[in-house]
Amino acid sequence: MNESQHLSSQFDEDLSGLRTHVLQMGGMVETQISAAIEAYSSGEVSSVKHIVETDRKVNDLEKAIDDDCAHLIARRQPAASDLRLVFGITKIVTDLERAGDEAKKIAKGVRRIYEAGQMPSQYGIGVRHIAEAALGMLRHALDSFARLDPQLAEEVIRADADVDTEFKSIMRQLITHMMEDPRTITTSIDIIWIARAVERIGDHAKNIAEHVVFIVEGRDIRHQDKESKA
Amino acid sequence: MSPQLIRAFLLTALAAAVAVPFGHFVKPWVGWAIFCSGFGLQMAFHFRHFARLDRWSRAPVVDPSLEGEGAWDGVFARIYRHEKDLQGKIAQRDAQIAKLIAAGQALTDGVVLLNEHGAIEYCNTTAEMQLGLVIATDRGQPIVNLVRQPEFVNYLKAGDFARPLTLRSDRGEDRVLSIFVVPYARNQRLLQIKDVTQADRLDRMRRDFVANVSHELRTPLTVLAGFLETLQEIDVDRSEQQRYLALMGEQSRRMESIVQDLLTLSSIESAPPPENELVDMASMLDKLRRDAEALSGGKHNIVVDSDGRGDLRGSQAELTSAFANLVANAVRYTPAGGSIRLSWQATPAGAEFAVEDTGIGIDAKHIPRLTERFYRVDRGRSRDAGGTGLGLAIVKHSLNRHQAQLDIRSTPGHGSRFAARFPASRVVDA
Repeated sequence: MNESQHLSSQFDEDLSGLRTHVLQMGGMVETQISAAIEAYSSGEVSSVKHIVETDRKVNDLEKAIDDDCAHLIARRQPAASDLRLVFGITKIVTDLERAGDEAKKIAKGVRRIYEAGQMPSQYGIGVRHIAEAALGMLRHALDSFARLDPQLAEEVIRADADVDTEFKSIMRQLITHMMEDPRTITTSIDIIWIARAVERIGDHAKNIAEHVVFIVEGRDIRHQDKESKA
Repeated sequence: MSPQLIRAFLLTALAAAVAVPFGHFVKPWVGWAIFCSGFGLQMAFHFRHFARLDRWSRAPVVDPSLEGEGAWDGVFARIYRHEKDLQGKIAQRDAQIAKLIAAGQALTDGVVLLNEHGAIEYCNTTAEMQLGLVIATDRGQPIVNLVRQPEFVNYLKAGDFARPLTLRSDRGEDRVLSIFVVPYARNQRLLQIKDVTQADRLDRMRRDFVANVSHELRTPLTVLAGFLETLQEIDVDRSEQQRYLALMGEQSRRMESIVQDLLTLSSIESAPPPENELVDMASMLDKLRRDAEALSGGKHNIVVDSDGRGDLRGSQAELTSAFANLVANAVRYTPAGGSIRLSWQATPAGAEFAVEDTGIGIDAKHIPRLTERFYRVDRGRSRDAGGTGLGLAIVKHSLNRHQAQLDIRSTPGHGSRFAARFPASRVVDA
């Protein structure tokens, strides 16, 4: 009796340690993204190197967490909600790692733009705005994972539509600009890449929120809007 | 021996005393029957009370109906008293704890208590707002799960709390927090969080100011020194010499205007409160319009909108310079063909002088810092336009001295509106 209690509390500790690691990784990605946004609007390209380096750490953490998950499944054979948590975590880290990659892409795009010349400031505002929105989504997705709060997760999922709409309107604006003044094409394409990366970050945040709903409620809500539309 | 035990013994003896003669004179089983029923009655009495006590002990509450008879009276009474005392003490403790919590809530600094595993045990509302926590759901949650910035996580992990951590909050607006960690009791930690946004801004302003003054003065000085050296070392023909001298004159005038603005600024800062002259707004507006037209050279459409009511009380010179500055900015930052509208409106509640343009506008993130000395939205452009970088700082100071507020609204690409709002006490004949 005593032995089994001890074992299960050790197991709980393992699980909560795993969660904390995931959130730590999330914290790194959040910082990466906000540094990338900052670089985009201030033109301080010095932080780009740091963002790229953080990406390596994020990758290492992803591998370490995946490893921990595999060990946990092998040693403890978790069931029901514990198993969902472990499964959910492996999926969340994949999305986090990809969001980190997008942050790296933004940083590199920023460096290209600023090294080539000044950023035309009137395009910048829209991208910065959706970047803030996407970062907010990721923050809320991670909060919902920390608190295991499916309501917050659903809000994140709904917010993704706004980011997508805004991304499309930025695309339209940039296309108009490029048609008006072909000299801006190089910069505009770089801005499109950045906006695209931002939009992808929003998608990853949405995926994380979906994993959270799966962990808490056991419902798989991925790809639902497509089915309902069809 | 306790009286209860003596009483039980006596009752048994009484039963025996009644039973023995019956057993002896009638039939032995009658005697036994009487003795056993006497004993049984006693047992039933005690068992009934025991059952009540048993039931009560499963959900102990203070219950005055828990009363016993005979031997049980004292037992129940003492339990009741004890429970009642305990309840009183708990209520007192609760009140004390509530007071402590209220004191914690009243702190203007954020406070978070962490247990030995770094999980949140308590935090006040200030900390909730600063860090984005919700204590109702986050109690027991490791704090690093919610405050995830790597700097914070590493600081907490390193365990060296000699210096506070300065953290740029990533939630909501741009706040700068200074976090002190104080270990207490056994492995418990207290986080004290101060909002140092304002101090951080002032600090940056001071640093920037010194750097900016030096930079602003050095640029024209470099030009001057360069031309002087050229003139000293190389023989240039007369027309070239004239051109150099003209450029040098221009740069020295520039330096002079910077120094002049700095002096103006420091004199307004240290001067006694402005005099209470009557400032005639009708003639002021007329003068401002003429200045604007002269500066614009006919490239802008300048409109004055005023119903001619109301005048101001204050320093004529300071207000003229502040208003002229706003108008000059509007002309400078509005491309040719744009329009500039000066408006003056006085009501008994206060008055407003506003300059609205259809110029290039200002990004929202620059607006809070616009009145800082030498703050420039676009370095190259404002210097080309001939600004010293001190204009709006002077405007703000002059207006402050008249208890007026400077309200700036702007949409990039569409135009800006700078408004000076005066309180009723400064307005005459509204």
